[in-house]
Amino acid sequence: MLALAANQWKAHLRLNLSFVKTTRMVIAIGFEGSANKLGIGIIKDGEVLSNPRHTYITPPGQGFLPKDTAKHHREHALSVLKAALEEANVKPEEIDVVCYTKGPGMGAPLVSTALVARTVAQLWKKPIVAVNHCIGHIEMGRLITGAQNPTVLYVSGGNTQVIAYSDRCYRIFGETIDIAVGNCLDRFARVLKLSNDPSPGYNIEQLAKKGKQYLEMPYVVKGMDVSFSGLLSYIEEKAPKLIESGAYTPEDLCFSLQETVFAMLIEITERAMAHCDSNEVLIVGGVGCNKRLQEMMGIMASERGATLYATDERFCIDNGAMIAQAGWEMYRTGVVTPLKETTCTQRFRTDEVEVTWRS
Amino acid sequence: MSIAGGECLSAQLNVPFPSVREADIAYGSLSVDKELKRGNVSRELWVENNILHVRFQASEARTFRVSINSFLEHLKLVCETMAEFGPAR
Repeated sequence: MLALAANQWKAHLRLNLSFVKTTRMVIAIGFEGSANKLGIGIIKDGEVLSNPRHTYITPPGQGFLPKDTAKHHREHALSVLKAALEEANVKPEEIDVVCYTKGPGMGAPLVSTALVARTVAQLWKKPIVAVNHCIGHIEMGRLITGAQNPTVLYVSGGNTQVIAYSDRCYRIFGETIDIAVGNCLDRFARVLKLSNDPSPGYNIEQLAKKGKQYLEMPYVVKGMDVSFSGLLSYIEEKAPKLIESGAYTPEDLCFSLQETVFAMLIEITERAMAHCDSNEVLIVGGVGCNKRLQEMMGIMASERGATLYATDERFCIDNGAMIAQAGWEMYRTGVVTPLKETTCTQRFRTDEVEVTWRS
Repeated sequence: MSIAGGECLSAQLNVPFPSVREADIAYGSLSVDKELKRGNVSRELWVENNILHVRFQASEARTFRVSINSFLEHLKLVCETMAEFGPAR
């Protein structure tokens, strides 16, 4: 009699334990610091609990250098982490996994951010997941927009890629063969001495709205790839003379530059969509919050009967939640990075990651 | 500036922590990143009780300085993180 009761109790316990296991929420914290944004975000099963960010803004005419950017991240990491925990109202012991950006990006800022992630993971005794920055953008875009299997245009200050998913891999269909589109825009903003606050690209976008006269520029699409460095040299050389002579205003040049580079991006994205027979397109990355780019992509998508998915600056621009989201997907499928292997790498291609969380 | 006769510059830091656990955490965080090969600096870390030991060796004064400076900046960040988000148990 007694033995039977004990057995029943055991069965009851097992049932309850399995119930706990399958329904317990997973909380992930993500650390991002691959460029000039230091972001820390907390995600609980697809819900963004907090996502504070601090941006290193340089004076007009200047870009950000690795050493100074790393210093910025070290100075702000702890206050941003504190804000992330407070806004989410999460205690360290409730966190299940610590995610950080392994790469690609600038070495010194990546390492500074990773150091904080490694230290809290050890303090709180949590597993670590190393995340590819580009995958972070893609997974965050999918989460926020609900896009199922989109062709992805990933455009930022350091990356320009057209990506499509196939067979456990985010495959790169086309990319820049030199500088990123955002780098081209940022450096043109330096020529015009535009403010870097909130970002050079945002200020170009505002000026471009007032542009009227189109200047033809080198349009360089090579098959599935694009090139921006020749275009940048061209406009860097011409701009001061054209503005001085009064032939074109800075607004005209911002407008012309945007129209040219965005048209190139739309062309290769459309080609990838045609190739994959895709009816969804998702724009991610910092340049992705540009309204004109979204508008041009929207026109192309509607002509093809496809749907455009885009997000705003909270999730397009580098942030911590995107690293938490990609890390959460990886962690769910059993991916964990041993502490010894939590290194950073400046080069880390999107197609190097085995996508274990998609079928 | 290179050092004559194939000799090496060397330095050792001994960093005491309040407890063994904190020294272990600092070791865990700081030992992951390898020194860049082209800098020709070797860096060795180990823990003895509550003390983190670091030995640097280099053939060139410039890379030697850069390596030690960068290590100290990282050490400071790790210590601040532990102070703020501990307690280490």
